[in-house]
Amino acid sequence: MGIFVLDRLEAYPTLLFVMSLAEFTSSLDSLLAAAEKSLGLVADEAGLEELRVLYTGAKNGQLKSIQKGMSGLSSDERPAAGKKFNEVRDAVQAAIDAAAARISGGGVDGASPKASGTKKLGPQVDPTLPGVRPRLGRLHPITQTIEDLKEIMGRLGFSATEGPEIEDTWHNFVALNIPEDHPARDPLDNFYLATAGKNASDPSALDAKLLRSQTSTVQIRAMESQQPPLRIISLGRVYRPDEADATHFPMFHQMEGLWIDTSVSMAQLKSVLRMFATSYLGGDVTIRFRPSFFPFTEPSVEVDYFWNDQWIEFGGAGMVDPNVLKAVGYDPEEVSGFAFGLGVERLCMRRYGITDIRDLFRSDVRFLRQF
Amino acid sequence: MLVSWEWLTQYVDIDLSPDDMANRFALSGLNHESTTKVGPDFVIDLEVTSNRGDCLGHIGVAREASVLLSTALRIPTPIVSPASVDSAQTSSLIKLSNRFETGCPRYTGKVIRGVKVAPSPAWMQRRLTAIGVKPVNNVVDATNYVMFECGQPLHAFDLSKIRGSEIIVRPAEAKEKFIAIDHRTYELDPSMVVIADAERAIALGGVMGGEDSEVSETTVDLLIEAADFTPLAIRRAARKLRLHSPASYRFERRVNPEGLLWAAERCCQLIVEMAGGKVTLGFVDSAPQSKTQMPEVILRKQRIIDVLGIEIPWKRSLDILTALGCTIVSKSDDKATMVAPPYRLDLPREIDLIEEVARMNGYEKIPEDAMVPVFVSARRDKDVMLQRVRSVATAAGYDEALTASVVNKQASSLISPWTALPPLMTQVQLLEGATFLRRSIVPSLIQAYQNNQSQQNRDACLFETAMVYLPSADSKGLPTQQNTLAWVGTGSSRDSKGMIDEIIHRVAHGQAVTTEEDFTDPSIADNTGVRVLCDGRMLAWYGNVSRSVRSTLKLDQDLTFGELNLDLLQEFLLTIPRLKPIVPYPAIQRDLNFILDESVRWGSLSQVVHKSAGELLTDCIYRETYRDAKKDGEGKKRVLLSLILQSTTQTLTGQQADDVVAKVLQATKESFDATIVA
Repeated sequence: MGIFVLDRLEAYPTLLFVMSLAEFTSSLDSLLAAAEKSLGLVADEAGLEELRVLYTGAKNGQLKSIQKGMSGLSSDERPAAGKKFNEVRDAVQAAIDAAAARISGGGVDGASPKASGTKKLGPQVDPTLPGVRPRLGRLHPITQTIEDLKEIMGRLGFSATEGPEIEDTWHNFVALNIPEDHPARDPLDNFYLATAGKNASDPSALDAKLLRSQTSTVQIRAMESQQPPLRIISLGRVYRPDEADATHFPMFHQMEGLWIDTSVSMAQLKSVLRMFATSYLGGDVTIRFRPSFFPFTEPSVEVDYFWNDQWIEFGGAGMVDPNVLKAVGYDPEEVSGFAFGLGVERLCMRRYGITDIRDLFRSDVRFLRQF
Repeated sequence: MLVSWEWLTQYVDIDLSPDDMANRFALSGLNHESTTKVGPDFVIDLEVTSNRGDCLGHIGVAREASVLLSTALRIPTPIVSPASVDSAQTSSLIKLSNRFETGCPRYTGKVIRGVKVAPSPAWMQRRLTAIGVKPVNNVVDATNYVMFECGQPLHAFDLSKIRGSEIIVRPAEAKEKFIAIDHRTYELDPSMVVIADAERAIALGGVMGGEDSEVSETTVDLLIEAADFTPLAIRRAARKLRLHSPASYRFERRVNPEGLLWAAERCCQLIVEMAGGKVTLGFVDSAPQSKTQMPEVILRKQRIIDVLGIEIPWKRSLDILTALGCTIVSKSDDKATMVAPPYRLDLPREIDLIEEVARMNGYEKIPEDAMVPVFVSARRDKDVMLQRVRSVATAAGYDEALTASVVNKQASSLISPWTALPPLMTQVQLLEGATFLRRSIVPSLIQAYQNNQSQQNRDACLFETAMVYLPSADSKGLPTQQNTLAWVGTGSSRDSKGMIDEIIHRVAHGQAVTTEEDFTDPSIADNTGVRVLCDGRMLAWYGNVSRSVRSTLKLDQDLTFGELNLDLLQEFLLTIPRLKPIVPYPAIQRDLNFILDESVRWGSLSQVVHKSAGELLTDCIYRETYRDAKKDGEGKKRVLLSLILQSTTQTLTGQQADDVVAKVLQATKESFDATIVA
């Protein structure tokens, strides 16, 4: 809307206000009379366009202005008004069409008046011009991967959970069966928070806090607050002081699954992981366990899946260690469960053909807009 | 752990190729990294998990092979021929005292007198070279050889360099200086174990020997040390001094506490065979009575089935465990009481024994089509909300970024809309200079915009959902970690505001009532910053980048940015909106063109309009602001708006609409001295 329009509104203030049906009809009649007269006289395209805008302009044409008056009519008057309006609108349009045909050289019946048949070349629409694409933003490939994982695990009965990123040593270590002398607790291998007064806080202190090094912390919190059966996945950012290179970044994402029930077996762990991999990869997938060691599971395994004729590392898994069950107040004789974890970045990079993990965190739109 | 095939097969017969054997190892717990051909030998690189210190020697690996292949394991017996026995008692030649039992639970030593130091024989040099250990001389090579044979690190001192014929195990003194075999000087602290003689430190226990007392070509008499050091003490020392050695690596993973004497005797046996000399009788031993008590563990047959989901023949389970070195105290058809060997300190519980049975029986025997009962999962409110938030942001043309949660000082101090408290910090930096846990995501996104700008990526518009970390005034409990949406984009603060409005609407469907107040900050351009409040709490803020920040950061255009507290927004989430009936009566639009003082803001104008118009007003649409100083005078502006009037119960008459307009005109006249364009 520009100044021009406002002037027009000021020029025809009465159009804004309520009129009777008679006034409405008569204003339409006088508009039609004026239109037919001026359109009959118009001689060139520019003049025609001016008149077209004046009478039928979509925003502030005179027809439009009169139409606004309709809203002030009562409901029993309105059908008649509408009918009258449509008649006048069609008549004005017909007069415009007739004038256009006359100016462009065509007869009223559309026949070419000139024997030569040379048609005047005006501006024409080119429907093969590039389309105007809406500029939609993209979700980060990590987000897309996480949403996929959540969706698949959801179908397998696992509900997503989250927890704090700044954790205490109880949830990040102690409850996960990682004792004080364990190398995983080394201050140089974790992002402990500096505490007021002393810069190097004692990592063994119970109130020491750190950026979580794994999302298992969320599982501890879930088990502390709920009774079995429990089927959850925990997702989110985790932090480990690795030097950033093509395959390492000090911040990354994990997904961990946990199933606690009265009797859960490693065969069920293998079966759930196979169903997960089959769903994620979209083909029948075989799963392989290799023995491994994690403080919070026993037995512990590395999980590989066979895809495209090779074994590909999937992540770690195992049966929840009885010490972990005890730490959250469960009885290991009564309940058991499995847990598994995987790095989201690795899955995402393999899926999209990304070879440098740092690209995920550079926010280069040439990268982000590809997914 | 590098394993020489030729060396390994001294202890066990293997009728598989090195590759096949490596594969068997990989599937039973020793991950296969690579196999290299070294001369006629093959060297297999196996990854040993931190609980399996027993496999940090060839014998331990051979034991795994013997169980996997059901073949015999041959462990050498360390016997010194009578001719090589010295009639003197070890304790008559050297005095031992242990003043640091928490760092060194047991220290033993044996003396060999009259050796001739020389290069070791070819077979030993070959084996050591194959696994990457540089041969030194027949004494040092023998200590290394035994370490890589059984996993117990040993150290040989030149006995003549030990002053006062005395060994003292003690904590290091604060700032005590020590020159190691690598000829470098290290500064110690009292958490470290020092092996000293009557006068000074001669070794850093479990980590490295000292320069002063090392074995040289002139050495004749030796003290062979075999000790057990506490993992934590060794790890801290090695880490602090950046002095990692094969010895420290093994102590960190625990050595066989019952294997010290075997290793010492084995070393003496090899030395006298290669270098001559005579071995003294007995040991100096700081804890001769020590005996590692391994717990009795009850293994239940049914428990194996429950954990693994398959039945393994009971006899097979027990056979596996005995082959691994466990002893059966008693057994029946469905349970057995067992004791693990001292080199398997990782097996104190039933579940540990079950893992041993599982891995040796083979995980490939566990099926992957077991019954998994159906279980209901539900989508969380947060996911419902996030999906809506992201769909608005992407529809608005914003690409999603992920940036680091820990930032550098400059980014941390740029803006902090959620808290006035100083940021939390990490002890270790995440990336260069990044030790500040971010209190706002916006600085990271501005940085991301800059990066794009420097790559000639014009007009980057970015959003991110992540935590901001808000310290609490007291340090008890965890700090507030607020889920936050942030964005930085081209355009004006009206774009930011529009996005906030649309997000709030999409998530809360009219359930969140917001108010606004000014937000001034050095990073925000004057008169563009706004805080959006809900329930008295800050739900969001937005603004345009200030001129100073724009020029400091050399931004190529004005940017708008803002953040929204997703935790607070979630409280107003309406997961399933209810239909509001569509009103069948037509609406009347009335356009009003106000002349107002410049200082009157839309926020207050629309508030007065809403209040005065009453319930017939369904919308008050802002159209345009323009200025005509000639007609209205300086300091005035014209604001055009449209009132949309509608009744839910009847068709409005023109008179009713006029009445509303009159009320609005009166109220705006009173509040702002507003006039209407005639």
